[in-house]
Amino acid sequence: MSKDADIIVIGGGIIGCSVTYQLSKLGKKVLQIEREDITRGAAGATDGVVGYHTKKPGAQMDLAVQSISMFEHLSEELGEDVEYGFHCGGMQPVEDQLQWDILSGIVEEQRKSGVDIRMISIEEAREIEPMLAPDLKGALYSPTGGKVNPIKLTIAFSNAAKKLGATVMTETEVTDLIMEGTAVKGVKTTKGDFYADAVVNSCGAWAANIGKMAGLNIPIQPRKGQLIVTEPIGPFMDVTLQCARYNVIKFRPEAVDDPAALKIGNSLSIEQTETGGLIIGGTREFVGYDRENSLEAIETILRRAVRFFPALKDICFIRAFAGLRPYTPDGLPLIGKVNAREGFYIAAGHEGDGIALSPITGKLLAEQIVYGKESYSLESFDPNRFPLESA
Amino acid sequence: MDDIIICRCQEVTRQEILDAIAAGATTVDGVKRRTRAGMGLCQGKTCERLVAKIIAEQTGRPMAEILPPKSRIPVRPVKIGIIGGKDDE
Repeated sequence: MSKDADIIVIGGGIIGCSVTYQLSKLGKKVLQIEREDITRGAAGATDGVVGYHTKKPGAQMDLAVQSISMFEHLSEELGEDVEYGFHCGGMQPVEDQLQWDILSGIVEEQRKSGVDIRMISIEEAREIEPMLAPDLKGALYSPTGGKVNPIKLTIAFSNAAKKLGATVMTETEVTDLIMEGTAVKGVKTTKGDFYADAVVNSCGAWAANIGKMAGLNIPIQPRKGQLIVTEPIGPFMDVTLQCARYNVIKFRPEAVDDPAALKIGNSLSIEQTETGGLIIGGTREFVGYDRENSLEAIETILRRAVRFFPALKDICFIRAFAGLRPYTPDGLPLIGKVNAREGFYIAAGHEGDGIALSPITGKLLAEQIVYGKESYSLESFDPNRFPLESA
Repeated sequence: MDDIIICRCQEVTRQEILDAIAAGATTVDGVKRRTRAGMGLCQGKTCERLVAKIIAEQTGRPMAEILPPKSRIPVRPVKIGIIGGKDDE
């Protein structure tokens, strides 16, 4: 069978669009297939934090450093404004001594990646963000983090890929993989069969479903994040801000003593977009593929928001939404070749870090596929660290 | 005619909506993600059906496939303090 493309990329989210763009940039003919529409999943239902301070110390932080450096000139490179807020900074206010101690420990680990992150007093924090509540204890602060418009970023990757010759098929569902023995040769879809030298699974929270078609057990689960957006207001804050509980839930869940907070994984994440609205999240819930909003979650999110920014109580929120983040058991994404399936690659499982890590993920995976070796090691994110062939 | 504003909150013109449809948008949601039409204060209460009509004209699809299947809360803007304020307020 003659091939339809060099590489087929499944998934039209932030990762799939970045991978498609980077492969096209390296001269490959790419066919991208998306079940619904570009940016219809998690990429279109999230905030745009491009920060260091929310990254797991070690390999993930090192990868973030590589990725964030790529954001600086991304608008020019892609030819569209992705609303990148350069050096807006990232902050995590702490409420008590326990949080201060936990975050101080995390900061020490994060600093090993060479990033400027430090603990500051509440007085210093309020000089940077005057709207913060004065009765907080202090904050973790990272002056060089950024923020981006995640929908614009995804669409900009997609448009740039199309300009380089990529074909993007939306409203096309992959129903099966075409296999020859253990090799993946193409995809069966609702609009016909397509063949290629390699297939990339970048389906985010849905990646495990594609894995099953190859007889693989990919340990990615959907984890729901609920958010709200406010009416547009004047300049309110510059940093992207998460409450300390955000990192505590992410890295030290055993230290959270409130069972209700742990159940829906509630912690504050807030930023102001370029158009003036504030995006406020968020939760981390294992509820399958449900994308509904719950009043319980909205209430806890808004309570946290008012706790840290009392002036918000008089601002209206205009919409609630939710997205499904791809959770992995060790908190790291799966990026690279699947050893047991020739021609099959995964780029998924970034959970809440997909936007920030998208530029580097696309670049390194494209290098691995085209050159057989990436310019910065993906070893820590090797999908084969999990027993993919287990029943 | 194509420079008339369809989404007043976000000041999105008919031409921008036509461009989004040409770029692949086939639903109100797809137009919204590409243009911000319907993302403003009124959340599409004014423009949603206008946007849907333009998509229907351009693509020949039935309205039922174009309009969003459900609405998100809240129906109207709600003060954060009403839901997230202190219990005694």
